[in-house]
Amino acid sequence: MNAISVRNLRKTFQTKRKAAGLRGSLRALWKPAFQDVEAVRGISFEMEAGELLGFIGPNGAGKSTTIKILTGILHPSSGEAAVLGYVPWQERQALAFQIGSVFGQRPQLWYHLPAVDTFYLFGKIYELDDGSLKRRISFLAEAFEIEELLETPVRKLSLGQRMRCEVAASLLHKPRVLLLDEPSIGLDVVAKQRLRMTIQRMNELEGVGVLLTSHDAGDIETLCRRVIIVNHGEIVYRDKVSALKRRYLTVKTVDVRYNEQLAPDFRLPGVEMLKVGRYGAKMRFDTRITPVEPVISGLAAAGSLADVTVSEPSLEDVISAIYARTEA
Amino acid sequence: MRTKEANVLYPEGRVRDPSAAAVAGKYWAIFRTQLLNSLAYPIDLLGRSLLIILFMWIFMNLWRVTYGATGARSIAGLTLADTMWYLMMAEAVMLSKRDLSETISEQVKDGSVAYLLNKPFNFILYHFAAGLGGSVLAFGGNLIIGTAVVWLMVGPPPGMTGWIFAGAAVALSWLLDFCFSALIGLSAFVVEETNAFRWIYQKFLLLLGGVLIPLDFFPAWLQTVSLNLPFAWIIYGPARLFVDPSLARLGRVFLQQGIWLAVVGGIVWFIYRRAAARLVINGG
Ligand SMILES: Nc1ncnc2c1ncn2[C@@H]1O[C@H](COP(=O)(O)OP(=O)(O)OP(=O)(O)O)[C@@H](O)[C@H]1O
Ligand SMILES: [Mg+2]
Repeated sequence: MNAISVRNLRKTFQTKRKAAGLRGSLRALWKPAFQDVEAVRGISFEMEAGELLGFIGPNGAGKSTTIKILTGILHPSSGEAAVLGYVPWQERQALAFQIGSVFGQRPQLWYHLPAVDTFYLFGKIYELDDGSLKRRISFLAEAFEIEELLETPVRKLSLGQRMRCEVAASLLHKPRVLLLDEPSIGLDVVAKQRLRMTIQRMNELEGVGVLLTSHDAGDIETLCRRVIIVNHGEIVYRDKVSALKRRYLTVKTVDVRYNEQLAPDFRLPGVEMLKVGRYGAKMRFDTRITPVEPVISGLAAAGSLADVTVSEPSLEDVISAIYARTEA
Repeated sequence: MRTKEANVLYPEGRVRDPSAAAVAGKYWAIFRTQLLNSLAYPIDLLGRSLLIILFMWIFMNLWRVTYGATGARSIAGLTLADTMWYLMMAEAVMLSKRDLSETISEQVKDGSVAYLLNKPFNFILYHFAAGLGGSVLAFGGNLIIGTAVVWLMVGPPPGMTGWIFAGAAVALSWLLDFCFSALIGLSAFVVEETNAFRWIYQKFLLLLGGVLIPLDFFPAWLQTVSLNLPFAWIIYGPARLFVDPSLARLGRVFLQQGIWLAVVGGIVWFIYRRAAARLVINGG
């Protein structure tokens, strides 16, 4: 059975529209005008049990809306979804015992209290008995390396420390599916890396399935095997992360420097020249169209080489390219 | 590690059968956490409790003059000491009850209410437990400071029975007050501004609830009106019971509180059911 399956999910928000100024306010009071915002427009996907699935897309793409529907706090306008066999918006409370969620922009830990107090509260809310709760807390404290932080009021923790505590708190009841909405928001590189490692570890250790949204391609690259890219409420790409790379990382950028002056009309067939200077050049080509070999020999034939740098686009660039393609 | 951990929590497929104790334990934990939260700022807590000194000082001056002017030892069955102890209890309740209506309507407006709904507890009971957790410490502080001040002014407080009866009635007062707060808070689903409702409710408590003056001093018709409204049973009921802890009065206070709780609580429950459905549709 799939951990999550979503079929043709749609969500349209109705927002009140109001013209500026007092007159606009009065008119809105008298005769409110509504505007439809189609946040999610027919999304379908499946997530296997124990899978790490990445969900990325630009601002307003509908990621959070999808996650909210899957936790049961939002009703879709149409379509079907099942999380661990439950229809989230119909069986929210029963589902709550089986899933965990973290909304990076909505901390759940009590701000003025040490995290361990919230841990105890959540333990009670999820109806754990004292013995297993204690064992669970010490297990998670070790896994997330937060033993030293648990007794400190949350307001005194750094963002990275706090987020590790947040994710640990969401795992107290040992959920089978974890929904993470931008857990890495605002974290620096080191803190991100640390959080990723812990999530990965919990996935290996307990087989918890993770649906993760992020703006950071690095999160997806290191954590997820499969990725879904959404834009304007629709899925624009879905595949294995490795396939994404294989397919889009074929564009190479080459930077060459020579010991002698270059001919000003220096060109190579099938290669786009980005810049040609007196002692060097910058160019780009796609290995699926232009093979590497003739390009390299063409470069060597043009003069005495001083230096060559070949670079691939980052996953970030790839994703921007996919967004750009879907905008058109 | 894996084998050890795997069996600690719900094994797959287990059907949860929450005992009443586990469910009660949840709300107890919420109460306790809110209590700890208020303890995070003890100075703040103390500061708020000091307000009662000012109130009692004003009341003392007011009523000493009034009693002096009439020349009577007691007015409507209350001596000056009775009146002061009554007001101490009334103020202690009034100053310690937390305004949950504001919290709830904020949460409804900014959508954060949704994030409380994805946990396995009842939203209304959650707020009640949390509200109670926020109130008890403030109430305790108000009682201690208020008692010390009034004792100095008019002599010793009523006996043990008064404390026990009033304590029990105050618990129901909070519950009743909470129902009103929830009603005001939930109205944010329908109207954008809930401040007007809050203002009206506060004024009803002040004037007809007996916060400023024991209702016994009202003219007969106004007394009848007030005693047939719920506000009196939030403040006047417990405070009057404090200075006159008779079983007959206890029964009457409980009966009235029970009736109003059933009525207002029922309305809250009904509205919450409908609001929750609506909320899930409109989203956060
Ligand atoms: N409660 C709401 N009422 C009206 N419109 C909403 C509501 N929530 C979201 N939207 C709209 O739905 C669209 C999708 O929003 P959503 O929060 O799902 O995006 P997102 O992919 O999570 O973006 P971000 O990366 O910025 O978090 C946006 O256009 C947003 O304005
Ligand atoms: Mg979002």
